[in-house]
Amino acid sequence: MLSLLLKSMRSRIIPTSLVTISLMASMVLLLSIERIQQGAEEGFNRSISGVDAIIGPRSSSLELVLYTVFHLGRPTNNITTKTVNDVKLRSDISWLVPIALGDSHRGFRVVATEPNYFQHIRYGNNQPLTFSKGVAFAELSEATLGSDVAEKLNYSVGSEIQITHGSIESIGSKHDDFSFKVTGVLNKTGTPIDQAIFLDLKGYELLHLGWKSGKKVFSLDDVGLSSLPADALNPKTVTAAFVGLKSKLTLFNFSKNIREYPKEAISAVIPGIALSELWSIVGLVDKGFRLLSWIIIAISIIAMVTLIIASLDNRKQEMTIYRANGASPKFLAAMVVYESLVIGLVAIIGAIILVTIVTYFATTQLNLALGVSPSFKWISLNEVKVFSIILLAGVLSSLIPAAMVFRKNLHQTLS
Amino acid sequence: MLQTLGLEYHYQHGKKIVFPEIEIERGQRLLISGFSGCGKTTLLSLIAGALRLQTGEIKFDHHDYSSMSSLVLDKFRADHIGYIFQTLNLIPFLSVSENIALGVRFSQSRKSRVASLNQEIDRLVASLGLEKEVLSAPVNRLSVGQQQRVAVARAVLGKPDLILADEPTSALDSDTTKKFLNEVMETFDSTKQAIIMVSHDASIAPYFDSVIDFNKHYA
Repeated sequence: MLSLLLKSMRSRIIPTSLVTISLMASMVLLLSIERIQQGAEEGFNRSISGVDAIIGPRSSSLELVLYTVFHLGRPTNNITTKTVNDVKLRSDISWLVPIALGDSHRGFRVVATEPNYFQHIRYGNNQPLTFSKGVAFAELSEATLGSDVAEKLNYSVGSEIQITHGSIESIGSKHDDFSFKVTGVLNKTGTPIDQAIFLDLKGYELLHLGWKSGKKVFSLDDVGLSSLPADALNPKTVTAAFVGLKSKLTLFNFSKNIREYPKEAISAVIPGIALSELWSIVGLVDKGFRLLSWIIIAISIIAMVTLIIASLDNRKQEMTIYRANGASPKFLAAMVVYESLVIGLVAIIGAIILVTIVTYFATTQLNLALGVSPSFKWISLNEVKVFSIILLAGVLSSLIPAAMVFRKNLHQTLS
Repeated sequence: MLQTLGLEYHYQHGKKIVFPEIEIERGQRLLISGFSGCGKTTLLSLIAGALRLQTGEIKFDHHDYSSMSSLVLDKFRADHIGYIFQTLNLIPFLSVSENIALGVRFSQSRKSRVASLNQEIDRLVASLGLEKEVLSAPVNRLSVGQQQRVAVARAVLGKPDLILADEPTSALDSDTTKKFLNEVMETFDSTKQAIIMVSHDASIAPYFDSVIDFNKHYA
């Protein structure tokens, strides 16, 4: 029967393939939306791990997470080092890593921090940062690179780099009077860490010694490093601080205390909560798209059934000859149902291939835009469910033309 | 082999036909002639089991049609009857040999009577005066006469007991009709098979053992 069916379908190749393509395209739409949303969510969620709270100025918590973790959006205000040091003295804190953002190097963000950043900050499923080459910076004139930075700019241990004031090279002025030596390169993490350059906070402060309100006032060439007082290079302000607590149970109490800190308007943001806020917004849009895709799939299935019904009239001769040669009405009805099954299966296989291609490009785009590179599976359990639902819906609706064929009297067709 | 008794058929639009009694044995050739619309095709449909009996009986080698379900009748038709239409006998997207092979597609017993399908198809095609080349030709390249020969090959493949032919020559000119009937009568196995042909063309009567004239029946 299959060979008869395939030959029959081939004789109606143009309408049949158009319907298959429309069904396939609607599935690609649904799956792409789902996969890209999941990929982005997974990418975001695995970007920071092990950090219980981010302390920063009192502002939108989402804005703070996006800026400090993903280096996206507008810069937030700074907080004073004095406040950070006060917080550090709290007994419920296990560790605290301050960071200062704002400068860049050839489009890559500079993160000024302390060497213990690499011990405490984790990614993915609580995986620690590891070095593919060299070690973490230890001196104020040293830098550590994320894997993408090293790869794309072709840097390695020993390279010398200069930092640009601001985030974009053309409008920022160069801190060209001081250069940093690369001491190590991190392994790839698939997070924004790959696209960051890490410096010592003291080195970062040194760069800005001669600057006031974003302009260079005097050059470092005129200053003897040894003549500086010891605490001159301790930064007065930082962008934020990542905090690990001794016990997660104290998290809410801790964040309440931070919010009530009297001397400065600061807050403690819990990254997971801020991100889930983000996903509740994205999820709404996503739901709308998904509903739309299901509607398109339903339309495609209706189009398929319409095609089969419309073709029955043209296939009267074919059906009559089968019947006259002894085929039962069951055989003809089964042929109709199998036709919808073949269309459905071909559309599904095509959709899987197309979605894989779409996902590949989407991953590249996600990586460029957000710095995250989520991992995609070929096909997920949820997608198998979606395919089964579509296949079942197609087969069930093909029962309409199948019943039409089944009830047709052979004599009506013979004469 | 086949016997009808008191067959009547009421159409939905009210017309009623009382059919003549028919009896045919293996090896016999029966022509049913009569004007168009007198119910010849309905009679063939009843004999083929495509139409349910209303009044009367059909017996086929001790099988009684009235006691068989339509599913059983489909199976019975596949095993025992070859059917030739007036026109449009072939499936356009199948090759000529695939069209012929459809004759045994739905019947194990007919299939088992054919030792080698390809050899038998070659033999039938040659016996019906067709070139071997047509086997691989697309169906729509064939002339009507060639198409009807292919339909005959399909109907006799696997030696069904009864061949029913519904005006197979109506689209052929008289010369072609003669040639066609000569070849058909040579190809069908007169020791095992019977043939019932309906036609409005009384001039083909010499090819048959007996003739039932519907016009006379009504007169």
